[in-house]
Amino acid sequence: MAKFPSVAWFDAVRDIYNTDDELRGAGSGTCNCTLGVQVGREFFQLTFEGFECSAAEKITKGKLDDCDFYLHMPAKDWRTMLSNIRQNGHATYNQTLNTLDLDRPEGLSTSTHNDQYREDMFFRYNQTLQFFFNASARINTTY
Amino acid sequence: MASKRDAKRVRPALTLSKEDLEVEVPEPRLNWMNQWREWGVRVKPGPKGLTLGSLNVGIYGEIPTQWLDRSRNPRGAIGATGTPPVAIQLRDKVDLWAPCAADLYEEAIQRRWAPATDVDWSQLHPLPDDIERAICQVCTELCQYAIIDVELITSWQHQMAYGYHEVKQFLATTSLDATRRHEAFRKRALSNGGGLGYEGPCQVSRLLLESRGGWTETVTGLVLIRGLFTQVMIRYLNRFAYSGVERKIYECVTQDLARLLTYGLEHLKFALAHAPDKLGSIASTLFIGFRSLSRDLRDPVLREALAIIFGGGIAGARTEGMYVVYEMLDEFAAEFMQASKYLRLPVTEEQLPTILRKDTRKMPGDE
Repeated sequence: MAKFPSVAWFDAVRDIYNTDDELRGAGSGTCNCTLGVQVGREFFQLTFEGFECSAAEKITKGKLDDCDFYLHMPAKDWRTMLSNIRQNGHATYNQTLNTLDLDRPEGLSTSTHNDQYREDMFFRYNQTLQFFFNASARINTTY
Repeated sequence: MASKRDAKRVRPALTLSKEDLEVEVPEPRLNWMNQWREWGVRVKPGPKGLTLGSLNVGIYGEIPTQWLDRSRNPRGAIGATGTPPVAIQLRDKVDLWAPCAADLYEEAIQRRWAPATDVDWSQLHPLPDDIERAICQVCTELCQYAIIDVELITSWQHQMAYGYHEVKQFLATTSLDATRRHEAFRKRALSNGGGLGYEGPCQVSRLLLESRGGWTETVTGLVLIRGLFTQVMIRYLNRFAYSGVERKIYECVTQDLARLLTYGLEHLKFALAHAPDKLGSIASTLFIGFRSLSRDLRDPVLREALAIIFGGGIAGARTEGMYVVYEMLDEFAAEFMQASKYLRLPVTEEQLPTILRKDTRKMPGDE
């Protein structure tokens, strides 16, 4: 059982993601980016290297500058997404990263630097990122 | 130095006849063996493996601003003399380069997928006739876009100098991506009781295929108009997918298209930074491109098919469905403006065609 959001929660998801070969093929594969996650007023950084998510750490808002892009939502919206994943084994319909990015007026993925090359990694690695969050279906999450 | 193990690999001596032995064999000259521009290179794999970009060391990493060699000489090799020149049109780095090409090539190779086996086709289920027909119509047009991409990209590849092999190799992956796109959408159209529909009006396609002036201008149309529009459409189709089959295809295609868009944007950025006078031809291409896109969008077939998909059938197409189509066009306009800002193109929203502007948009059939 791990509390979201926390480094322990991201580490628990990383453990599943890094050891499941099924999450590495079929359009996924290697991924090299630094992803920021904003949950309300808390900030985290995930490092993806090759086939693994190699690190998760808590960061300050200022460190978002180092992220290629970051996903931002209020805590209640993250909870809705993760509950949907837990219930279905994967994100469905209006709770996929793609749909959330389209549906939310402020989008889901953004950056502090406006470097489109780095921002577009959200689309280039979308399958990997979705697989990563889908892996959270296999852990008991508390809030 | 050869090891004992290597020695075992040498083919055993042939048993030669007396006649064979009498044939005079010249002594090998081996004078090619000491001819290298740089020898002793030992590139080591990094955390991402032995990547294409990591080979750019020493003279092999010298990427000139102009490639004068009109042969098929690989960069870093010693060119043959007296070779008839190859008709290579693009010999200036500014005409094709994007610094990310080698990385995108590796990404394309490593993140590949196969529609035959990576899509769980058993998840398909019968759909109402109007929705199935609409999906098949959209698949038909997406197949057509993919065919155009293949034809377009391959028609330029042989005109690119071998000195910029990173770009040529990456573009080869985009051709494969496009063929895979064609395969996936054709399979979807022909696997659930439907079939192929109407060919689209093709104004943008014609513009792209007839673009012979320069690769940079072709990329402008291919990426900022056709590519970006297709990407946004695929993302909306994903949002309203009717099965895991479609969702998987759209997710993978989004990634494939994103690499092409990234190359295009980074090439345009490089070109504008090193040849600011290209701004005029890029702006003209956009102007003509948007005019073509407007004509394509005024054709009701794609618009109505999308509205049926987004609205859950013919009944919902006129209200909810068409509203989402407009929202999709707004999203495309926003993405285009963001890309223009990134490239510092002097484009304002007022210059966009009326069909892409909320305040002026009127579509045939609007009240």
